Amino acid sequence: MSAESLTLNDGSAAARAEEMPLQVRSRSFTAVVLKVTGAADAGFFASLDSLMRQAPHFFVNAPLVLDLEQATDLQVKGDFVKLVRELRARRLSPIAIQNASADQGIAAFGAGLITLQGGRDVPTERRGRAAEAAPAASEPEPESEPAAASLLITEPVRSGQRIFADRGDLIVNASVSSGAELVAHGSIHIYGPMRGRALAGVNGDKSARIFCQSLEAELIAIAGLYLTSDDLGPTVRKKRVQAFLRDQTLCVEPLK
Amino acid sequence: MAKIIVVTSGKGGVGKTTSTAAIGAGLAMRGHKTVVIDFDVGLRNLDMIMGCERRVVFDFINVIQGDAKLKQALIKDRRLENLAILPTSQTRDKDALTREGVGKVLDELREDFDYIICDSPAGIERGAYLAMYYADEAVVVTNPEVSSVRDSDRVLGLLSSKTHLAEKGEGGVKSHLLLTRYDPKRVASGEMMKVEDILEILSIPLLGIIPESTAVLKASNVGTPVTFDTKSNAGKAYEDAVSRLDGEQIEMRIKPERPGLFQRLLRRTA
Repeated sequence: MSAESLTLNDGSAAARAEEMPLQVRSRSFTAVVLKVTGAADAGFFASLDSLMRQAPHFFVNAPLVLDLEQATDLQVKGDFVKLVRELRARRLSPIAIQNASADQGIAAFGAGLITLQGGRDVPTERRGRAAEAAPAASEPEPESEPAAASLLITEPVRSGQRIFADRGDLIVNASVSSGAELVAHGSIHIYGPMRGRALAGVNGDKSARIFCQSLEAELIAIAGLYLTSDDLGPTVRKKRVQAFLRDQTLCVEPLK
Repeated sequence: MAKIIVVTSGKGGVGKTTSTAAIGAGLAMRGHKTVVIDFDVGLRNLDMIMGCERRVVFDFINVIQGDAKLKQALIKDRRLENLAILPTSQTRDKDALTREGVGKVLDELREDFDYIICDSPAGIERGAYLAMYYADEAVVVTNPEVSSVRDSDRVLGLLSSKTHLAEKGEGGVKSHLLLTRYDPKRVASGEMMKVEDILEILSIPLLGIIPESTAVLKASNVGTPVTFDTKSNAGKAYEDAVSRLDGEQIEMRIKPERPGLFQRLLRRTA
């Protein structure tokens, strides 16, 4: 049994705050993954209890995902119901399973667990501290380096190309063509004409910003809130601007 | 060392095959041993533009599949002894092209020729991908309109990432812009994009501007590369573009003014 973390993504649609009575956002959360080996028997719960005594804060309030890759014994709904009840009794919050067979998926669904795909490991030690400070933190977490490294692009970004800065900022020191896409967990800086799309703070970082030397973008988005070229008026079009979030609104202002 | 040049665009109908024929003939006229290869498997056209469609026996696909020797498939041009054509198959499709097969044929051609000009099919699928894969340089053919410019931009992205040179980490293929079907009158009236705007978007060096001309269609129909028509604007413009491709520094001659009635009559009968 081992504990690790993954990132959940709850949707990709975005809505603008002032127009809708509800808001749909894409946001990532960190969850703890519990690898279940063999059957969920007394031995399993004994090791779990011992682990929880060693790191009492590690699991508190964190969503729990069960990895069933090595748990072929778990097949029927009754087992999952029992497992969920035992985990909840330990103040753990199982929400989903992964690496499961189709039958396991159906059985677990009956016990109120959904099947997740994908996910990405982050260091458990850092995850532990994050759990202590703020449960279910939504900040982007650097994977290994202490400081988030930025990605520098010096060649023109052509139509159809997609540049993804999976940690920190994205800096483009060239033009970005219509039909190209820049995506970053942090801020995006463009020092050439910006004619494509720029999505900053895709992990939910509301402090992310977009800086343009000449804004001619098709779309800009920060933490799921977006504006299209139709929304960009003549005061900012083809100007040096920055885009940022202020009170749930995406603002674009000329740089002085 | 032979140079492989791909003539590509993304968008169809912009003048890739016409330009391939014109550039191939132009380089041969300058004394370089040149071969033009048709990569548009299934939509064979280069042989017609070059005027050798009746002499096709074996083709590029036969050579790739080992059914014929390269020497059997190569057609020597009757007008220029330096020029050869490697036609493609009209009955097969792009799946008949393999990366290894194309590489082998190109390596064999490198031994005998100075310039290898690859005529890419439209699109960005297999045929276009393999036409550009081994290229040292690219001529990106673009019309002065937005969709053609965007498609060219897409192709430039592929040239800098999906080619042999890019994979080796040598910075992608050196690309040149060839603006075709350029009509100064329509540019002046705002119907067509300006050269400077296109260059600003694509940010690659300009190889030449080929004016919209009746000479181009006429040359295609009789199977003569338009470079042979030294009297026409288009023929001259291709000649200049070829000289630049060959390393010469020549000034652009865009003529925004209307040609006189006498000139127009001359061109019609030329």
